[in-house]
Amino acid sequence: MKITKEAMCGTLESNDLLVKVLPFGGLQVSIYSEVMRQFGARIREVVGETLKQMGVTQGKIVVEDKGALDCAIRARVEAAVLRGAECEDLDWRAL
Amino acid sequence: MNEELNIETLNPREDKRGAAEVNRLLRASGLEMEADIQVFVVARDRKKIVGCAGLADGVVKCVAIAKERRGSSLAVKLMDEVQRLAMKRGQSHLFLYTKPDRAPLFEGCGFHQIVEVPGHACLMENTPVGIRDYCESLRAFRQQGQRIGCVVLNANPFTLGHLDLVRRALRECDWLHVFVVAEDASTIRYADRLDMVRAGLAGMDRLTVHGGSKYLISKATFPSYFIKDSHEVETCGTAIDLLIFRRYIAPALGITHRFVGSEPFCLVTRKYNEDMFEWLESASMEAAPIHVVEIPRLEVEGRAVSASEVRRLLAKDDFAAMTALTPATTLSRLRAIYAFRTLLQAGHRAA
Repeated sequence: MKITKEAMCGTLESNDLLVKVLPFGGLQVSIYSEVMRQFGARIREVVGETLKQMGVTQGKIVVEDKGALDCAIRARVEAAVLRGAECEDLDWRAL
Repeated sequence: MNEELNIETLNPREDKRGAAEVNRLLRASGLEMEADIQVFVVARDRKKIVGCAGLADGVVKCVAIAKERRGSSLAVKLMDEVQRLAMKRGQSHLFLYTKPDRAPLFEGCGFHQIVEVPGHACLMENTPVGIRDYCESLRAFRQQGQRIGCVVLNANPFTLGHLDLVRRALRECDWLHVFVVAEDASTIRYADRLDMVRAGLAGMDRLTVHGGSKYLISKATFPSYFIKDSHEVETCGTAIDLLIFRRYIAPALGITHRFVGSEPFCLVTRKYNEDMFEWLESASMEAAPIHVVEIPRLEVEGRAVSASEVRRLLAKDDFAAMTALTPATTLSRLRAIYAFRTLLQAGHRAA
């Protein structure tokens, strides 16, 4: 799956996160968080797993986190990717 | 909670009553309504506007929040909506100017500082990877050498004066990076200007022609360049653009010298040249200073060659007089671009 257009999902309110996706030659993931020291590694893990499950191979993914829970991170990343990838034939069961 | 908060959009040109209310809110915050704002995002508590943020061509302006609502997360809600609205309008990359002491407020809203003119202003963008990734893309064009030069041209259109400037600059450095201003606000479209520069410099060694970007003389970094009838060119107007060059662009490419043609005509450009010495060379900052070299304009028959003179001739379809001021590569492209217009006018005259 490739990101073909710019898209975003989420907010910058507390306990949420903003995910932006852009078309890009490779796969580049940038993560910024207010709780980077404490949870940075875990956030990176959740974002990475979500992208892998969705089969994202190309795109620039920018995550700005305000202390969101794992399930929120997963949901926001999924929604942003789906908006940016314009995919029709998605296997929802795989998510 | 005893409130009913709605976030809505407001077009200041259509909704005069709304615009007047926004104006009152701005004034109460020591701000002025700006004429180029296309749309506002406003927060209403029942009927009353308690917060606003304006959007003008990818630049966020006139952000104000009513005194009694400060300290809540209203700014975040407003700015989230500004980003969503801007993306719908095809402007995902946003810039914002603010006073340095207000920067932390916008940092909480997803804006990241690019540069600061201490005590005056700072420029922010709505992505943590914008300027970083741009520099990364420039680094691919780095060249070896002791003296790495740079010239920034608008080339509206590319003249013999520009060609002379590039040739002389090349004599003084090991490699020259030539940037073409990307903002599409000139008589001649960016794609055509870039094409003219590439054609005019084709075959020259030790030189790279780069397209411009939002970080180099754009409406975001240098708004007054594109509004030349505003005679007042504030200090910050040029400082932001030059500081971005010194702190990011020059280090990415290893640029040691910036060459510039002397400016006998345009006040704004002349001020930009003067400020170059200040912000690139003299001002003390962490980033290494860049040597600024001003090269006297090429003269033809005792007059400095200027692109504005060529545009005057172009308006009169005087291609014969243009041959003394532009290289053949520019002339042939101008002919191609304006051939259709000339045909039309000939048709009118015949009719």
